Formats: sequence, structure tokens, C-alpha cells
Amino acid sequence: MIALLDKAPLGVAVRISRIDWGAMSQDEGRRLREFGLMEGCEITPRHRGSIFSRDPLALTVGRMQVIIRAKQAAAIEIEPIAA
Amino acid sequence: MTGAIPSIALVGNPNAGKSSLFNALTGARQKIANYPGVTVERKAGHASFADGRPISLIDLPGTYSLTPASLDEAVTRDVVLGRQEGEKRPDALIVVLDAANLDNHLCFALELLALGLPTVVALNMLDLAERDGLTLDPERLSRELGVPVVPTVAVRKRGLVELLSAIDGAIQSHQPREAVAAPRNDVSLHQRARAIARVATVDETPVRRWTQRVDRIVLHPVGGLVILLVLMFVMFQAVYAWAGPPADALEGLVGSMQQWVVATLPENFLRDLIVEGLLAGVGAVVVFLPQILILFLFILLLEASGYMTRAAFLMDGLMARVGLSGRGFIPLLSSFACAVPGIMATRAIPDEKDRLTTILIAPLMTCSARLPVYALIIAAFIPDRLVGGTPVGLQGLVLFGLYLSGIVGALVVAFVLRRTIAKGSAAGFMMEMPRYQMPQWRDIALGLWQRAWIFLRRAGTIIAMTTVVLWLLLSFPKAPEGQSQVEYSVAGRIASGLEVIVKPIGFNHDIALALIPAMAAREVAVSAMATANAIDADGDEDAMAQSLGERLQGKWSLATALAFLAWFVFAPQCISTIAITRRETNGWKWPMFMVGYLFLLAYAAAGITYWTAVAFGLG
Repeated sequence: MIALLDKAPLGVAVRISRIDWGAMSQDEGRRLREFGLMEGCEITPRHRGSIFSRDPLALTVGRMQVIIRAKQAAAIEIEPIAA
Repeated sequence: MTGAIPSIALVGNPNAGKSSLFNALTGARQKIANYPGVTVERKAGHASFADGRPISLIDLPGTYSLTPASLDEAVTRDVVLGRQEGEKRPDALIVVLDAANLDNHLCFALELLALGLPTVVALNMLDLAERDGLTLDPERLSRELGVPVVPTVAVRKRGLVELLSAIDGAIQSHQPREAVAAPRNDVSLHQRARAIARVATVDETPVRRWTQRVDRIVLHPVGGLVILLVLMFVMFQAVYAWAGPPADALEGLVGSMQQWVVATLPENFLRDLIVEGLLAGVGAVVVFLPQILILFLFILLLEASGYMTRAAFLMDGLMARVGLSGRGFIPLLSSFACAVPGIMATRAIPDEKDRLTTILIAPLMTCSARLPVYALIIAAFIPDRLVGGTPVGLQGLVLFGLYLSGIVGALVVAFVLRRTIAKGSAAGFMMEMPRYQMPQWRDIALGLWQRAWIFLRRAGTIIAMTTVVLWLLLSFPKAPEGQSQVEYSVAGRIASGLEVIVKPIGFNHDIALALIPAMAAREVAVSAMATANAIDADGDEDAMAQSLGERLQGKWSLATALAFLAWFVFAPQCISTIAITRRETNGWKWPMFMVGYLFLLAYAAAGITYWTAVAFGLG
């Protein structure tokens, strides 16, 4: 089963296995890459937005913490990091 | 090298500490203007090399790459490529890196290095990186990049001398070379950046999760919102609680200046103009400087500490409901200080419809120019007492309610706009969340000084001028004995015409009179009433001794006062906002729309408030 980032549990490090670049605009895709979110990199989902909708997702990539919307997170496939 | 003053640009990622470094290098010697043709803020300043040769520095908007996603990022690209109109290409670059985030920041640095300009890298915020358990080797990094690398801690002024001498050396020894093809910001660039970061890192203990521990509380889905609300509430209470004594002192100062002029000059036209026009009008506005500074202090502190992005994160869900994004939260929060910088800050919003909607609702955020109006009316009509045994002041509560009405109004308007004229796909929201930082007093003080200066300059020019014009209109023609001068004057007659329109919503002649000059700027309403009352009280010792608030108390009903407050929550009375909207939307269509819908809302809100209050017997 394919796991997507928008449903990922918080606090557990995962690896990005595939990104569906077609699901987002070019600018969004480029910004993701500028943040360092690419196939093969390890990330940890940290926080979800407030009770209003729990939408934006904050995650750490390297030493940086970035915010993306669930819509983009849903285009990112993840896999567990082999122990 | 030619004899011209070398110009050096600071460029780097957002959150690299660029502005702090710029402040540390230039001190207060800064000039803030706009790039010609676009409204991106251009921050320039002066510094000098150790031997005294002057240099000019510019601080470019932070960006992640030379491929821009927004207007200010485009300026950064155009300046470093020498394509920005009216701006000469910088002679050298200072690339600012956050020492604790080399992996990411080196990508942009590599792109910039490929340009072939004399370049020095500032390895900034090294102290925070060390706090995070990182040990870096600047010399190794320098060998890898092929340019000097200078460790800096901008906030402690560490490394500044070395940085300037390195840039001097880089300019002197620079061999012009062809720019190599810009590397694509893709996987390979990131791998290169990561490889360089790895070799430059001597030691890396597991990240201390200090920021994350705080975030667990601050970003809590419920608790975080409570904290945000409490913070905003404290902010608005403080605006009242702390501003009292300095405001009283300013008021006393204006009073003694008036007395001094009265005692010094012979009684003539000029003396009246100065005392009743200029001093009464400008003085009434300048008194609010302390409140404005307190509000800005909070906003600057929230921004500098890194909390603002957390607030944006928390608000994004709510803002998404009305078709906006958390990105819009920062421009909107800045609009609490002034809609003009707020509207300018919308340039960071990539989505066009999202941006337009944010611009159109920005004037609904209660800007500092409304504070004088609110403060005057609240002080005069709302009793200064605590709400039923709590430490909450009733006056602060009413002020909070006014701010809240603006916010709720803005959300409703955004909801409607995004479903009608600004229809579009859901906006995105992608942002970096900076680490928490101790705000630096120097940056805060500089920011406050710049705001105070802008406010005082406005008071000295636009407000002074409108007050004088109003005074002239109020003083002529001279009323015959036994008739009110204010009623008889040109302004009084115009106001009588307007009064017909605003009478149904409870507005009296005073207000009708104040509304006209307040088109220039909202706070002019206060100075206009002060001027009119000063003329009205001419010669009457008792009336002169009363403050403006006390005089209004005698003349207005509570319902009228409340309606007046409601009016100012919505009314688009600010020439600067209309002008900036025209510039930001490239035409008159949207500013006209904005003015129209806001006046309609203002009229409706004031009317409903007035009729409700009268129904409750407050008329």
C-alpha cells in the first residue's frame, strides 16, 4: 500500500519515495525542491494546523522546518526508513 | 577599480539574518525607498572600510533561488543580474548563510557564485549554530567554495570588520571572468550543497530540540490558538495601560506651547492660526505617538522572535476557509499598524487572486491611524472601570471588540470575494518556519525609530496642512455677532450638506465636519474636531480648559459615539491606502471598488449600531 505524507503520523521520520509533480503547479514544485523536499530525502512530520481544519503540515527537513498544505503533502509518497 | 563608491549587495535566503547584518553594518544610516516602477522596498545604507573609504550597501529581499516566485524575489534576481531599472549592478556580493542551515542555504550560494561577481560569504548566526551543537570549519568551506568565508554574529557585531576587509580584498583582486551557466536548482545542486556542508561540518551533535519543545506548546491545535488570542489581547490592553503617562506628558507639552505662543505673539490672525489651527490640530494627533509605538513594539517583537510564522501556521486553517492563506496573515497583521506596508507586504503572496483579496481586505484591519479616533471616543464615552471583578478594563475590551469587528468583517468580505469576483483555485501555503530567536534591541529600536519618524513626518506635513486648510475654511467668512462661527463658516456649510446624508445613522454636525478632511487620513478626524472646538470655544475660558473628550461628552449621545466608532471600523478614509492600492493593482478599478464597498459597509455598520443603541435607550 502506498503511504502518503498527508496521512503520516507526526514525529516519525520517513523517506520520500516519490513525488507527483503533476499534482501541483510549477511554482509549488520548485519551492518544494528549494526547501530540499525531493525523492530520497528524509523528513519528519511535526505539527498539523489548528482545530479549524488541521490543514497545514509543518515538517523538518535537515535542520529546517517548513510548512506545506495537505494538498501538496497528498502528492508526496513516503516509505518507512529501514532500521 | 574606479574612484566611484563601490556598491555591495547583501543577498541570501529568508531567515539568514540578512537584515540584522545589514543593520549592524550600516547602523541608523539607512535609506528606505522603493525600486522605481515596482513597490518593493529598497533598503540602502552606508558604511566604510577600515581606512575610511565609503561603500554603499543594499539589502536585497530574501529568496531561495534566482528563479523568482514573487515580486520581491524578482527584484533580487534583477539587481544581481544588473537588469533592475535604475539600479546599477552591484560591484560585489555578500552572500549571507545561516550557519545552522548550510544544507539548504548553500544551494542559493552556489547559484550566486556562478555569476562571477566578487563575492564573500558571511557565515552568519554562528553562535546559534553552536548552540544547536554544530561545529563548522569556515576555512574548509572557503576552500570548497573558492571565495572568502567570514564567520559573523551580526547581533553581537562579531566579524564585521573582517567581513568588510574580505570584501575589499575580493574587489581589489577580482579577475573578471565569464559567468558560468547557472546551475539548475535541482537534485544535483542539492547533492553538491549537502556534500559541501558535510565536509565543512566538523562535529554535529544531535539537534537540541529547544525550538521543537516550544513549538509543541505554541503550535498545539487548541492551546496554540489560546496563546495567540491571549497575546493579541495583552497587546491591545498594553496599548492602553502603558501609553497613559507619556501621552499626558505630550499633551502637557502641546498645551504649554499654546500658552507660550499666546503669551508671546500679539493677538492677530497668525496667532489664532498657530494656536487654534496648527497646535490644536497637530497636537491632537501627536499625542497618540506612544500608543502607536507600543503597538509597533509588539509587532516587531513577534516578527523578530520568529513567532509571526507560527501565528501564520495557526491561522492558515481558518484563512483557508475563506479562500486565503496563512501567507496573508503577516500582511494583514502588519495592517494593524498601517495598511500601506501591509498592502506592500502582499507581494510575498504568489497566487494573484489570493493577493488581490488580501489587498482588498487589508484596510479592514484596524490601523494605527484609527487609534487616535478610537482612543478619543472610548476615553470620553466608555467608563474607565474593570469588568465585573476581573482585571480586564472595559475600555480595553471595547477596543478589542473594535479590532475584532474589523477582523470578522474582513473574513466575511474575503469569503464573498473569493466566491465572486476573485474566484480562483485554492491558494497554496508554503513557508519556512524560522527558529526562535531573542529579538535584538538594536533592530527593534531601529524599526521603532523608523515608524515614529514616518508618523511624525505625516503629522508635520499632510496632517498639518489639512488642519490649516480646515482652520481657514472654519474661520471664514466671519460670523456676525450672536451666530456660531463654526456653523457660519464655509466648512460648516459644506458639513450641513453632508449632514443630511449621515443624519440617519446618528451623525451630528461635528462628525459631518470631521469626515471631510479625514478623507486624507483618519486621524485628521481628531485634529479637525479639535480645531473646530478650539474655534468654537474662542474666548470662553471654561470651554478652553476642557479637553476635547470632555467637550464631546456634553454634545454627543452614547449612541452617536458608538455609531462613529462603527463607522471607522470600515470607512476607507486614507488617501495613502487608496494610492498604494492603485499602484499595487495597476489601475483604478480595484481601488474604486475598495472605496465603494467600504463606504457602504461603514454606512450600514454605523446605522445598525446607532439604531440598535437607540432601541436600547442610549440615544
